[in-house]
Amino acid sequence: MTAILKFENLAKSWFGVPAVSEVNLSVEEGTLLGLIGQNGAGKSTLMNMLGGVVQPSSGGMEWRGQPYSPSGPADARKSGIGFIHQELNLFTNLSIAENLFVDGFPRKRGFLDKTTMHDRARGILSRLSLDLDPKVLVGQLSPGERQLVEIGKALHHEASLIIFDEPTTSLTPREVNRLFDTIAALRKDGSTIIYISHILGDVMRLADHVAVMRDGRLVDDGNAADFTISRMIRSMIGRDLSGYYPPRSCTPGERAILELEGVSQPGVIEDVSLTIRQREVLGLFGLMGAGRTELARVIFGLDPHASGAIKIDGQGIAAKAKGRIASGLAFVTENRREEGLMLDASISDNLALVALESFGRGPLGVVEEESLATRAAEVRSELQIKAGNIATQPVKALSGGNQQKVVIGKWKMREPRLFILDEPTRGVDVGAKYEIYTLIDQLAASGGAVLFISSELEEVMGMADRIIVMNRGEVVGEIARPDFEKEKILAMAFKEEPA
Amino acid sequence: MMLKKKSLTDLFLQNATYVMFGAVVLYFGVQQTSFLMPDSMANIVKQASFIGIAAIGMTFVLLTAGIDLSVGSVMYVAPLIAGLLMQALDLPPTMGLFIAIAVGGVLGALNAFFIVVLRIVPFIATLSSLFLFRGFGTWLTSSKQFDFADEFRAFGLSSLFHIPLPIWMFALVLILAHYMLSHTGFGRQVYALGNSQEGARKAGLKTASIQARCYMMCSACAALSGYMLISQIGRLDAGFGEGSEFDVIAAAVLGGVSLFGGVGSVFNAAVGAILIQTVKLGLVFTGVNLYAQPIMQGFIIFLAVLVDGIRDKRTTALLKRTIRPIQ
Amino acid sequence: MMATQITSLNRRFTNIFLSDYFVLYMSLAYVIVLAPFLPTLLTPQNLSNVLSNTWPLLVVAIGQTFVLAVAGIDLSQGAVIGLTSILCAMLIAVTGNPNVLSNAPIWGLVINEDGGFLNGLPLAVPLAIIVTLFVAAGVGALNGIAVAVMGMPAFMTTLVMMLIVSALAIYLPLSENINQLPDSYVALGKGDIVSVYFGTKSESQISRRVIYSLFTYPMLISMTVAFSAHVLLNRTVFGRQVLAVGANRRASEISGVPVTRIIILVFVISAVCAGLASVLYSGRLEAGRPTLGAGTFLLDVIGAAVIGGTSLFGGKAKIKWTFFGVLFFVLLSNTLNLMNLTAFVVDMVKGGVILSAALLDVLRTKLLRERTT
Repeated sequence: MTAILKFENLAKSWFGVPAVSEVNLSVEEGTLLGLIGQNGAGKSTLMNMLGGVVQPSSGGMEWRGQPYSPSGPADARKSGIGFIHQELNLFTNLSIAENLFVDGFPRKRGFLDKTTMHDRARGILSRLSLDLDPKVLVGQLSPGERQLVEIGKALHHEASLIIFDEPTTSLTPREVNRLFDTIAALRKDGSTIIYISHILGDVMRLADHVAVMRDGRLVDDGNAADFTISRMIRSMIGRDLSGYYPPRSCTPGERAILELEGVSQPGVIEDVSLTIRQREVLGLFGLMGAGRTELARVIFGLDPHASGAIKIDGQGIAAKAKGRIASGLAFVTENRREEGLMLDASISDNLALVALESFGRGPLGVVEEESLATRAAEVRSELQIKAGNIATQPVKALSGGNQQKVVIGKWKMREPRLFILDEPTRGVDVGAKYEIYTLIDQLAASGGAVLFISSELEEVMGMADRIIVMNRGEVVGEIARPDFEKEKILAMAFKEEPA
Repeated sequence: MMLKKKSLTDLFLQNATYVMFGAVVLYFGVQQTSFLMPDSMANIVKQASFIGIAAIGMTFVLLTAGIDLSVGSVMYVAPLIAGLLMQALDLPPTMGLFIAIAVGGVLGALNAFFIVVLRIVPFIATLSSLFLFRGFGTWLTSSKQFDFADEFRAFGLSSLFHIPLPIWMFALVLILAHYMLSHTGFGRQVYALGNSQEGARKAGLKTASIQARCYMMCSACAALSGYMLISQIGRLDAGFGEGSEFDVIAAAVLGGVSLFGGVGSVFNAAVGAILIQTVKLGLVFTGVNLYAQPIMQGFIIFLAVLVDGIRDKRTTALLKRTIRPIQ
Repeated sequence: MMATQITSLNRRFTNIFLSDYFVLYMSLAYVIVLAPFLPTLLTPQNLSNVLSNTWPLLVVAIGQTFVLAVAGIDLSQGAVIGLTSILCAMLIAVTGNPNVLSNAPIWGLVINEDGGFLNGLPLAVPLAIIVTLFVAAGVGALNGIAVAVMGMPAFMTTLVMMLIVSALAIYLPLSENINQLPDSYVALGKGDIVSVYFGTKSESQISRRVIYSLFTYPMLISMTVAFSAHVLLNRTVFGRQVLAVGANRRASEISGVPVTRIIILVFVISAVCAGLASVLYSGRLEAGRPTLGAGTFLLDVIGAAVIGGTSLFGGKAKIKWTFFGVLFFVLLSNTLNLMNLTAFVVDMVKGGVILSAALLDVLRTKLLRERTT
């Protein structure tokens, strides 16, 4: 066996924050490497470097014994590396065959050679044991079939190494089995595979070799035979970070602020019931695609729910986001650039957005600039937003942490009862993270409640009074602070029994 | 294969053109039975061929989710330049035809330059070229009427096997464009680009060149359309083609080509053009006030754009990612 | 050393380029450069003419500014001007001419030999203006609903609306003008409040040619509109929300901004401004004319708004910018006319100006982005 791929001291940092540091790893030809780690452990960045999506900051790669530094995805593709992203890149208005050949159609006398194209597509589809007519539009395929078409693209480009990034997220069990059959067939043909997944059982079943990443480093790797699920979980969990989180200054009261009873929405969430009490920080943990954000959007009224009830203070709640804001809900989304901020606008304008209407006076709604500015200044100092002149400085000139504080601040302007914080520390440096944790504690201590959504287990454990774990749109477990145990929570989230 | 269950609404949205077509023919037929006679039907197809040719070109641009508002001016200025050259060099009308198409291609390249290179929003870029091109044309003629040679008109009114030349041209362009869109790599890439520009770029397609060729195609078709239409009259007034962009865009959208890109075919555009012409002629047949006719046409276009908007909203909703399988 | 000097020079230049007053400077520079070649440019008569062309256009462009602020566009304003011009005129005409209008669908319904429907009533003019503004608002609301609720692209919706509305405006009087409007209405379009006399004082008879309007009713009206619009856009909750929707629609939605309502309202404002401007235009013309806002008028409006600095991408708009943009555009048209250029050359130049305005917008946005990152 020879190493087909080698990472040598490979590292990548974003604006000085390391995402991948000093990874040394080799992948042998014809094997399947299972790559695991928590969200933000650096798996995606590592794979993006391999796929030519991202350029490394230092270190290098070796592909088939030659130095390898792809300048872009097309370059990687040419070298024989196929990358199947979680978000598929297919054209729904084209046929399967056309999707396979879109960047280089077979031609005959200038025209598209449909016969050849369909024959070759049929060949690829049969390798995937996908019994479909290549003329069928991709828009008519199920998610599982689309996934296979994407694999077909890699086959068409004669990829000898295929990267799968969370391929099973939206597949039914039957489709998953078919995918695994396909992977087995690919291996028989000699392809090398890197398989990224949160479903540890699948990794155990498929992999020859397992590599575990944490905080951008490769922390454990070895033959799959030597791994158990509990070793995987243990390796993924980092050092203990007690003292890294501020002490909680309040305890939950009895009164329920938000209640969900059997809330369902087909394809998104299923039978979710939960209660958040006064002065409580409720942690909501789950892996990518567990339905956390989707649940948050339903609670906030941005997406509908088909059945079940949502109550605030024991009362029914308005159907739309606007009404729910009025009854005291606030939502800091995971996506602050697209959904949270007006990047070109000033800090003041951003802070003012939610509370604006309550500062309008008279029939015209003339903004009371002075009281608005006073309130904004208050919020700014409460949240310790580090900026120059908040009336003129645009938000995009702030650091990630301060931008996040502006998003929290715009809700704080109204003093809401319940804060839904979705990944509030994403893209925020370590120092600012601590400040945000302190803020979370303050928000709860001041009499409100916080629904703290995160895929970083340590921070949920560090801040929450109680944790609810989700998997595939369902609540799969609930655990109170005294019983917090990483293995147990992760096992719930992975839906595996710890051995 | 999992086929999505289609609701009645979706079925209607997908076939809105034909529903509308049926309703229109039925309505005018009931009002005036002579409307259903073969003669008037043949007349409709002939009249539709001019807008139809331009609408086929417009389909290329619409498929990329772009728009071209300058077609009316191209219909005016490209044949004009061809006419001037024919006059100066004493060229036959067939040569003029190729000159007009070539001039159209150049004007389209100019639009493409604004849009692809300077990155100006397509509707603003082509709105300005609408005035630029027409201004250029009126400058050439000093806004006087331009008379073509007699042989030009004879060429335009000629027919082959009792079928008038414009219909032949319409059919030829239709078939060529259809082949281009469904049987060449370029054509399929146009659809890919319209489905997702970002995706097309990721897949390594040359998006700029694809877009540019679509705008050139559009203007070339508009030029041909203008040339054929003028050949029916034999002269060119300063106001020729003004407002034609409406009819052209409307024909395509009415036929089912989406303004949001990636959806529709040249046959849609052709059907749309015939539908528009049916309405126009029907309004004349039923004696609706000349001034009231554009209002009716406007409403029909409005309906078409509305249907397109709703259809797009629904497909976007259908494509929303699910995190658990819907059983 | 050299390099830093260049960058500081660069910065100075970009500062001027990005300043609120860039277009004003540009207009002044333009006048200074052209004045020696066009002796008539700075004559009181011409300046008074420039001003009188500025006022109605300003009103329309202000309406457009609101729509551009939410990243929309309104191409139907010109058609609305035509329709409201006709509607208002047929309501208040002092007499109707049967030779011209007797075939029109409105003849006998709202207008006949005895004038318009409201002719003779004490408050005919204000009443008619209110009615037509309501009609304009209705057109705007339709645009807004189509865009905000039905998800139709703004430029297509308003393009189709332009087609329908202008066809309706032509249909109502069968493309004839409606003349014989009351004096009070005409005054709104060109009545002087203060005029300036440049002749010699000893002349007993002041000939009409040397009186130049300085303060006029159109000026009063459009300055009032501009001031109110400025307050509305910059000082009120509504205005802030308009800019927010343009800056980031999704973030605004999540923050509880009533996005749908805002979008509908800006289209209403745009149409109402067009309706108001039609009063100024038709008053000046002393007639209601169905094709009043047809043709290249659209270019003047969008060109003026965008060249002023309002972004086609939304979120950036100031009434002040629009004012300078309108001034520049009017000066441009005026000088082109003074140069005795033909209408089509003027159209070509205007087409080019729109293109440069759009380019300027792309450039400005890029510069602003680079500057803070």
